[in-house]
Parts: sequence; structure tokens; C-alpha cells
Amino acid sequence: MIFSTLEHILTHISFSIVSIVITTHLITFLVDEIIKLYDSSEKGIIMTFFCITGLLVTRWIYSGHFPLSNLYESLIFLSWSFSLIHIVPYFKKNQNFLSTIIGPSAIFTQGFATSGLLTEIHESTILVPALQSEWLIMHVSMMILGYAALLCGSLLSVALLVIAVRKNRKFFFTSNHLLNLNGSFFFGEIEYMNERSNVLQNTSFFSPKNYYRSQFIQQLDYWSYRVISLGFIFLTIGILSGAVWANEAWGSYWSWDPKETWAFITWIVFSIYLHTRTNIKWKGTNSAIVASIGFLIIWICYFGVNLLGIGLHSYGSFTLTSN
Amino acid sequence: MKILNIANRHSVILSKLQNPNIKNVFKFKTHYSFPQSHLIYNSCSNKNGGKFTVSLSYTTTRGSGMTVSCKLKTSKSDSNKKSKNKSLQTKIVVPELDGAPALSQAAEEGGSAGDRSVPVKPPPPPSKKSGLGLLKGLPRRVLSVLSNLPLAIAEMFAVAALMALGTIIDQGEAPDYYFQKYPEDNPVFGFFTWRWVLTLGFDRMFSSPVFLGTLALLGASLIACTYTTQIPVVKVAKRWSFLHSEAIRRQEYSDTLPRASLQDLGIILVGAGYEVFLKGPSLYAFKGLAGRFAPIGVHLALLLVMAGGTLSATGSFKGSVTVPQGLNFVIGDVLGPSGFLSTPSESFNTEVHVNRFYMDYYDSGEVSQFYSDLSLFDLNGKEVMRETISVNHPLRYGGITIYQTDWSLSALQVMKDDEGPYNLAMAPLKINGDKKLYGTFLPVGDANSPDVKGISMLARDLQSIVLYDQEGKFAGVRRPNSKLPIDIDGFKIVVIDAIGSTGLDIKTDPGVPIVYAGFGALMLTTCISFLSHSQIWALQDGTTLVIGGKTNRAKGEFPEEMNRLLDQVPEIVESSSSTQSDSFSG
Repeated sequence: MIFSTLEHILTHISFSIVSIVITTHLITFLVDEIIKLYDSSEKGIIMTFFCITGLLVTRWIYSGHFPLSNLYESLIFLSWSFSLIHIVPYFKKNQNFLSTIIGPSAIFTQGFATSGLLTEIHESTILVPALQSEWLIMHVSMMILGYAALLCGSLLSVALLVIAVRKNRKFFFTSNHLLNLNGSFFFGEIEYMNERSNVLQNTSFFSPKNYYRSQFIQQLDYWSYRVISLGFIFLTIGILSGAVWANEAWGSYWSWDPKETWAFITWIVFSIYLHTRTNIKWKGTNSAIVASIGFLIIWICYFGVNLLGIGLHSYGSFTLTSN
Repeated sequence: MKILNIANRHSVILSKLQNPNIKNVFKFKTHYSFPQSHLIYNSCSNKNGGKFTVSLSYTTTRGSGMTVSCKLKTSKSDSNKKSKNKSLQTKIVVPELDGAPALSQAAEEGGSAGDRSVPVKPPPPPSKKSGLGLLKGLPRRVLSVLSNLPLAIAEMFAVAALMALGTIIDQGEAPDYYFQKYPEDNPVFGFFTWRWVLTLGFDRMFSSPVFLGTLALLGASLIACTYTTQIPVVKVAKRWSFLHSEAIRRQEYSDTLPRASLQDLGIILVGAGYEVFLKGPSLYAFKGLAGRFAPIGVHLALLLVMAGGTLSATGSFKGSVTVPQGLNFVIGDVLGPSGFLSTPSESFNTEVHVNRFYMDYYDSGEVSQFYSDLSLFDLNGKEVMRETISVNHPLRYGGITIYQTDWSLSALQVMKDDEGPYNLAMAPLKINGDKKLYGTFLPVGDANSPDVKGISMLARDLQSIVLYDQEGKFAGVRRPNSKLPIDIDGFKIVVIDAIGSTGLDIKTDPGVPIVYAGFGALMLTTCISFLSHSQIWALQDGTTLVIGGKTNRAKGEFPEEMNRLLDQVPEIVESSSSTQSDSFSG
């Protein structure tokens, strides 16, 4: 009994902290940058991290197995991974763009997990024989960490695309005759046009704003690349450990299970992303487009396949019942 | 043959040859030595009159001579197949030269990866040693086509799309299913009918020729790409040289520290994990070189996995069998080959005896684990192995692996009125969901009459049997080993035992060690390729230190890291200065 109330408390605390963090971000965004508020939002995510850690440890002790056996637990683990990814750059003292992405993501996953759609799988259950293995810890945790990192990175790329497209649109409206539509998506040309338009129109209004925008886009680009690389490593280790586990349990390391296949598709899409970055002409917007496609693919892989409920990975399935 | 003077530019057209016997153009080496001003070179030209331009990039070696190596851009791709080339030796005497040609811009290229002198434009021009040996045009052309990056990306997309299609279209059904699901008179998306599915093999997508062909193409591209683009990176990335101060200032990150010493910087860099080289006033440091080589490892590991997978698909045996407790089977009888490379081994003659099959339960009654106690006997009847297997813990013997995958109830042993024991075979009953249900029937009275009545017994697992009387009414529950009698319709029934049968999957797979090796290599090399290759140059210019650096992956964090390192460099202060000085920071 203690454990379940403890669980409830921790869930609610983490949920509320993340909401507060998002609110502070909104205030910062809409009103003004207040440094103290920024610091407290950072600390807020660290507290969320500890709360969710406590939640997972509680479930672990209570049920006797590592808390990753059904969709609810994997969603909690996903929000834990988000907060983990957030605090790693915090300790390296890097300026953190990730908090604006991570806050809403964590709240969405946690909200969905605790929502009424999944009440029947909230309680800790026993493990079926097929899941009683040491590989469970390694395979599923690596996969979820990989998903979290890849989701962050692809959301950063989506943000990049949005800003870049809006930047282009401003140019479309203001300086049509300067545009070279063929190469207008190449960053160097964007900055070049920026310079030209400034010289010709002599509007200092544009210049600092667009300079900061270009800098910001570049930062988003770098961060997205690094986070996706990290997520790719986790995804690789997760898929391969899953294959080894399958070989130990069922005799075949790859059986074209829908979940396996979609994880492989996700892996391929992100390796396409990494390959597009080797070519200088395609760096920037084109690789961001690939990463955005990857965002959709991850959701299909994680949720879409579970909705089908077939195959060897059916532990994660749930039926959408409206209470 | 025209001879041009080498002008004071670093890019020059040396010569255009019009010899009709010479076909394809490749790399050529030029030797240029001071002060005799002799230039010797080998070259071939394109027969079809394509233009070739030579761009020279100078690299200085530590010796006294100077080697000029040239890369070629051809504007027309080589078109002819078997071609012999004649090496042409020409001496060009350069009359006069104002010192070395413009070195400054080229020297910085020489210090870094040499592949920057060739513009990255797909496809990169294949470079091979010319003038030696027979050149076969066809394999080289194929190689250059295959190592094209956009093609590789398109192949990856194609593989992903086919796999996605394979999950959407139900696999392995009878053709009738596809006739109904994708009918011709009402096609999906307006054109997708069952003809598409069956002719392209989409019903067995993952072994269809379309899919396997795309995979094979991807593998070929992998091999070609590793050979042409990746391996040269190894040679080039190891080369480095000291730079002079303009080149240093032109790096992505550069800074100047007044009143600092090179040695202090060197020590700090060593402390930060860099490998530092000092020569006179110059310094070069690098870190994370493995991150440049790791992608090659990734590609090789992928090739290993593909090779192992192919071996598995063509050379393995698999089979499954359901064996009641107490019976046995010969391994070779239940295995079937999967491909043309499958060869049976000696251990196929082993006989497997199921000593006991039992299950463990949670307190709630759910099954927690299945166990099978197996004994293996060889041809002579000698027991060679005895092991209890469970799910996730298979048995391995002689290259064969036996997995516990399934179970069922085979028979119920009952005594009726102290007669017996009767062995009643149990049959599976179909219910919704995952749970199993088995039932059997003990006839009472005349067994041959058409409406024979009897006692029905149902069981979900080995734990408890539910008994029903002749009218079908519930009579009671008994546990098999309790030996408690139950009175049904005047008959005394004792359930003695529930005999289960174990479902085993047997496999032998020669490709597994290769695939595991590939997996391990892939995990390791993917992790290593996260490292970023950072290079730092520095030059002591009087008391000022000029520092420049770059990195290939972690471009966002590099300036901050550099700032932090440079903050630690102590500032050298004259001892006679009386003003407050901050000598050591951070």
C-alpha cells in the first residue's frame, strides 16, 4: 500500500513540476528573460528527474522486476530519459536549448501515461516467462533512451526548419527580385542574400535579427546533429541487444516482427540523416527534413505498431478504451 | 604538344595531349625540384577530347625535395572499356620562376585533409595509380557508380519503404486472402491489386527477389563506398603538418594570447587529453582521431552482419516438435534445411528424451516458467547430456540449440472405480485470447452408442482439473497429485496425473558466430564514431601565442571547450611590473 501511494505522490509531483517549468518558459518567452527564473526552471527539471527516478525505483522494489514490462512503464521510462538527456549538458555547462523541447515532451508522455486511456495497466504486474531475462534491462532501456534522444534531436530539426522557412518567407515578401529560387535553401546563400539585401535596402532593422537567427539556426543544427548521433548509438545498441536476446530466447535473431522491422526502418532513416550531413551542400535544411521524417517514423515505431497488437512485441499493446 | 609555363598561380593547365591511343585520365605525379626547374610528369588524356584541368596542391615534405601531387577533375567521365594506357614521360623545362609559386593558400590545404582539394561533388572522381599495369574500365566505372552517395541514400530509402510495405501487407497468407483484400474491381489507391502483391512477391516480402535484390545492391554499394571513399580517408587523416600564422588565424576557431608560452599550452592540452607535438615555435595537437576511422569500422561491421545473415538464411536447419512427457525423438528427424548450403552434422543422430515437463506458478495462479528435463543419447545409447531447459535458457549441444517455446497437455491419467489407470488423451479447445484450454472425455456406459454420455474434464494448465458430470453440470475441481477422489454420478474418479507435452524449437545456425562478431563490432564502432577529431595548431610569435583549431563533429561545443582551455594558460608577467597581474586563472 505504501508503495502505491508513494508512486502516486511521485507521479503527481513530477507532473506538476514539469508544468511549472513549462510555465516559466512561456513567461520567459512572452514577457522577458529573467535569469532567476531560468535557473529555477533548470533546477525544476532536475527535481523532475529525481522524482521519476524515485517512481521507477519504487515500482522496481514493489514488483520485483525492472520497471519496463508494459506500455505504461515504458512511457514513464521515456519521460525519465527526457529529463536525463536534459541534465547531461547542464553538467557540462553548455547553454541549454534542450529544455524548451524536453519540457513539453516530458509532460506529454507523462500525461498520456497517467491519463485515463491506460488505467488498466497502471498496476505493477508479473512478468511472463518470455520476459524473464537479464536482456530485458539492457534492450528496452537502450531502446527507450535512443527514442528519447532521437525525438529530441528531430524536434530540434523541426524547429530549425520552421525558423528557416519563416526566414525565407520574410525574404519572399520583402526582396523578391533578389531571390535565386534554385539555391535558396542553402545556408550560405541565405546569409549572402541577407548581406545583399542589407546593403541595398539599408535597413538596419533586418540585420541584427537575422544575424541572430542564422546563428541560432546554426546552433540548432549542431545540437540536433550531436543529439541524434547519441540517440543513434543507443538505438543501434538497443536493436542489436534485442537481436541477441531473441536468439537466446526463440532461436532466431531476426524474424521480421513488425516492431523489429520498424525499429530497423527508424535506424535506416537516421543513418540517411547522418549520411546527408557528410555532404556540405545538403547540410542544413535537407538533413533537417530527413530528421523530421524520422520524428514521424519513431512514433509509428513506438506507438503505431503497439496499436496493431500483433507479433512478438505484443506486451506493449493496449486497447483504446474511453472511460 | 603545348607546353605552358607554370605561372604564379596554384592552379594551372599543364598540357593537353592529343595522342589518340591514350584513353583515360588518372592521377599523375609531378616532381618539381629546386633549383634545376625540371618538371617530369606522367599523364594520359581522354581520347574523346574531354577537357582536363589540373589543380595543383603543394605539400611540403620534411626533406629537401618538394613533391607536388595533383588531383584531376575530369569534365567528362571515362567512357571506354578496356583501354591500355601508355605512360608518357615529358620533360618540361620551366625557364624562370619567381621563387615558389603562391604557397600560402595551398599550404593550409596541405596541412589538413587532402581530400579538400577535390571539390566534394558527387561522384568523387576515382583516383588510381596511372601509368602502371592494365586498367580495366568496366570495374572501375561500376565502382564509381556504386560508390555514389545519392544512390546509396536512394537504396536505403528503397529498403526502408519495402520493409514498411512488408509490415502493412499481411505476410504469408494464401492467395485467396489477397484476392479478397486487394480486389481487382476495387483497387486500393486506385491501382494496387492482388496482381501487384503476388507477382512482385510482396506476400513473402522478406524473402522476395525484389527485396533481396535491393539488399544485395546496398551491400555492393557498401563495399564500393568503403573501398573508394573511406579507405583513402585513413591515409589522409593521418597526415598533418605545422602551420604558419596566417593559416592558423584562418581556422574555424582562432585566438591570440598575448604573453603566453607554447609549453604552457602544450601541458594544458596534454592534461585535456590531446596528443601534442612541439617543434621549435610550432605546436600541433589532436584528439579523437579514432572518430575518423570508426565509420570505416561501421561499414565493415555491417558487411560482416550481412555475410553472416546470408549464411544463416542459406545454411541453417530448423524444426519444431511437441513431445509428450516420457517420449523421445531423434534430432535429425525433425529438422529441415533452409537453403542450399545446409549440411547435416554428426549430432543429428542424437536422440532426445523428455524426462519431465513441469511449470512454475505465481501465487496468483499465472504461469511463471516452463521447464523441460531433457536427456540426450548418442547412437550407442549412452547419455551424453542431461539438462533442464526453460524459456530464455536453451540447451546447446554439438552446434544444435534446443529452445523451450511452447507447451500443451497431452493426456490425463484417471482411475474410475479403482479401475485403470486410464490414459485419456486431451485435445485443445479453441477459445479467444492467449489462454489455452484442453478437454477430455471419460465415457460412461456403452462407448459405442451414438449418444454416449460421460464425464468431461477441462484443464487450463497442469495445476487443476475441472470435472463436469454427464449432464454437463459442474462437479468439482481436483489437483492431479492430491489423489483425492471425487464422486460424480455414482462413479469414484481419481485424477492421478496430468501429463504435459513440451513444445521445443530446434535450430542449427552456422552464421550466428559471424553475426555476433558483426554485432559486437557494430556496437563498438558506432560508439567510437561519436568522437570528434579536434586539431589545434599554435605558433609562438615573440611573446604572443597564435592559436587556431577545428573539429569535425562537435562544432558547437568546440569554441567553448577551447575558451575554457585557453583560460587556463598562465599569463607571463614581467617580474619588474608593479601593476596587479592575474598570473594563473582557473
